[in-house]
Amino acid sequence: MTCAEIEILLADYVDGTLRGDERAALESHLPGCPACAQLAADIQAVTAFIERVPQAEPPAELMTRILHYAPTGRRAAAEERSSAAPSWIKRLLGGFTQTVLQPRYVMGMAMTILSFSMLARFAHIEPRQLRPADLDPVKVWQSIDDRSHRIYDRSMKYYDNLKLVIEIQSRLKDWSEQDPGTPGGQPASERRNQK
Amino acid sequence: MATVAIPSAKWTWESPYPTVRANDSLDADLQLVERCLGGQEAAWEDLVRVHTRRVYSICYRFTNSDSEAQDLTQDVFLRVFKNLKSFRAGEGLFIVWLTRLTRNLLIDHYRRTRMDRATESIEDQASALEENTAAIARTEGMLAGREASELLQGALQKLSPELRETVILRDLEELEYREIAQTLNVPEGTVKSRLNRGRAELARVLRRQKISI
Repeated sequence: MTCAEIEILLADYVDGTLRGDERAALESHLPGCPACAQLAADIQAVTAFIERVPQAEPPAELMTRILHYAPTGRRAAAEERSSAAPSWIKRLLGGFTQTVLQPRYVMGMAMTILSFSMLARFAHIEPRQLRPADLDPVKVWQSIDDRSHRIYDRSMKYYDNLKLVIEIQSRLKDWSEQDPGTPGGQPASERRNQK
Repeated sequence: MATVAIPSAKWTWESPYPTVRANDSLDADLQLVERCLGGQEAAWEDLVRVHTRRVYSICYRFTNSDSEAQDLTQDVFLRVFKNLKSFRAGEGLFIVWLTRLTRNLLIDHYRRTRMDRATESIEDQASALEENTAAIARTEGMLAGREASELLQGALQKLSPELRETVILRDLEELEYREIAQTLNVPEGTVKSRLNRGRAELARVLRRQKISI
């Protein structure tokens, strides 16, 4: 048996748990090896010395301090839950809510709503009280359909009117460009055609 | 003049360490952990009360400073509170998990304070002569427990962190080799080898200080 193997066995030997062949091999090795004998003696002496050393006792206030600063019980469990499993709203909206719910965004939205309400008041726009019947899907759909058709009609009408206005404007321009000496005030375009 | 009496290499004695840890305490640990995870306030208090001494003792023996040991013990329990959910009963003992957590914090602390210790060691060398002359007075008779504790503390600080933590876990905290191996994540043979080297080094340090062991 080598000295390295003996070194490992010494721990069990000192503990008194080394039995059988290993114990016999170690006991036959030690008398012929001064280095291992010295190591065994040192180990025995130190373990005996450490046995005299009392346990290190923590100060009484340490436990109070730990419990005071540590997130114990329900608080810890609640923190655990909130950090481990975000609510379905948070999962759905992701980081969007975190951005939108910042104080500056909330304040900005509040100021915008306030501004629009003031403008509506000055323009004498009276907001109609919403009734439960207004939330009927059929009614909501009809309302949207009606409004979209109206918007389409208005925009078409605006386009047609715009064409008429441009035509009148060009006609007036032609008249203003006509020769002042021409009797009857013939338009310049007609004069060009005559030529 | 050598003042250390070297005993005979042949001896037999009863092991001071329990070979099998009581199953009751294991069950109690597991029950405590389950109650803690269930959100019971009283269970957290019990957990702290049961394990504060061990954690503090390891920290104190390793750092040789009461204030540092208190701060580190507090940090250990903060981590326990935060990471208790990651402890799996089937993967090992709670005591091993707790000791590993403590050990990792101690190693972090050791690395962080390495520079401070380098500057302090110069002062240590200056006061070493005084220590040696004062130690002669201690060699007579049996050392009192408290004095032995202080001498051991001083000697432990001379060991490398690997040897120191192994000696603390085995000889002072009386963990089993298997538990120490799991804590340090090394084979049991390595634990025994480190332990013997640590004990031999301690004997040399104490002998240099002319302490009768």
